[in-house]
Amino acid sequence: MEILLALVVAAMLVSGGIFTFLAAVGVVRLPDVYTRMHAASKAGTVGSGLMLIAAGLYAGEFATLARAFAGFVFFILTAPVAAHLVAKAAHQAGYRLSRRTVCDEMRLPPKK
Amino acid sequence: MTAHAIVQPAATFALFLMCLAFFLTAYRVITGPTLPDRIVALDMLVAIAIGFLAVVAIKTGFNLYVDIAIALGLVGFLATVAFARFVLTQGMPEDEKDPMAASPRAGSRRAGERSVAQRTARRKTRGRAR
Amino acid sequence: MTVLMFTAVVFSIVWAAITGSLSPLNLVLGFLLGLLSLWFIRRDFRGSRTAFRPLRLLSLAVLFVKELALSAWRVAVLVARPRMDLKPGILAFPLTVDRDIEITLLANLITLTPGTLSVDVSEDRRFLYVHALDCSDPVGTKRDIAAGFERKILEALR
Repeated sequence: MEILLALVVAAMLVSGGIFTFLAAVGVVRLPDVYTRMHAASKAGTVGSGLMLIAAGLYAGEFATLARAFAGFVFFILTAPVAAHLVAKAAHQAGYRLSRRTVCDEMRLPPKK
Repeated sequence: MTAHAIVQPAATFALFLMCLAFFLTAYRVITGPTLPDRIVALDMLVAIAIGFLAVVAIKTGFNLYVDIAIALGLVGFLATVAFARFVLTQGMPEDEKDPMAASPRAGSRRAGERSVAQRTARRKTRGRAR
Repeated sequence: MTVLMFTAVVFSIVWAAITGSLSPLNLVLGFLLGLLSLWFIRRDFRGSRTAFRPLRLLSLAVLFVKELALSAWRVAVLVARPRMDLKPGILAFPLTVDRDIEITLLANLITLTPGTLSVDVSEDRRFLYVHALDCSDPVGTKRDIAAGFERKILEALR
């Protein structure tokens, strides 16, 4: 039983590490703010959230697990809000989309 | 084969990956051509730090680190929101006209010269300028 | 009133989770604290007539977790490819939902789904601007959102 738990925790740690690493790679490789935000807000949140849950599981007591879970829920609730705010601010301030952008309907008059 | 012997190498591996992630993100913070790029990267740094804290909690068995991670998440969120407000009120500084990120239908959109309010009003009235 | 009570119960469970003790006394304390904090924001409750279906909300939550895992996976795979084929762009998604809570929920869900990130709501609240990593098929993407999340939200909250 303990071995099983340890295997689950190890798997979560490794996959969380890989997600975090790929999110960082995305932040470096993607061409503009908006696409970078995709990497940071999704893969980054899932990566650190997985590790937090792993820490809660490995602690082996209810209080820590509950707190870790509450923290995870908090992160996945705030990450989209933060991304949304930064994206909105950047777009309103006039930071441009990358050259590879194929369409920008925000600049068009919305169809009636 | 104890539970300890399984988790410790995984934790070390995760720490290694996160060190790499930390340096990559720090690279983006330093070079990042525009202010929003740096904000996104700093947000990412906070996420990585939370991951670090969780792994340290596992490695040392010191569960208080989980609480610290939650507190750090709260602070990081507030910091990002404050930065976003700053960008929103400040607008784009003149020297951040990034030539790499030209809009596909570029034209001469010189955003840095107008205030945010003016620009929003203009966007509404621009109609089918395009 | 049921919504209020349910929210207070959820608050008391969260309180028990964070303080790490499930004793009845602690739950009651959490419930009272929840009611107090709801009393502080009582102005925003006025006139909100939200239908309340716990099972539908639960199914929304399950869908949300599934999509979150999927989207993290997609972004990770996209970034790990040596040549990224990106066609990013901003879509204007016509909103059917019109209340604050529904728009907020939809925007949050969209941000955590594969390849999309909500940027802004138009001032007349008829369009949600969505940044998509793959914008090669705008009509299809909009149809997916409308048939997936928006329908679910309407089912859960109306």
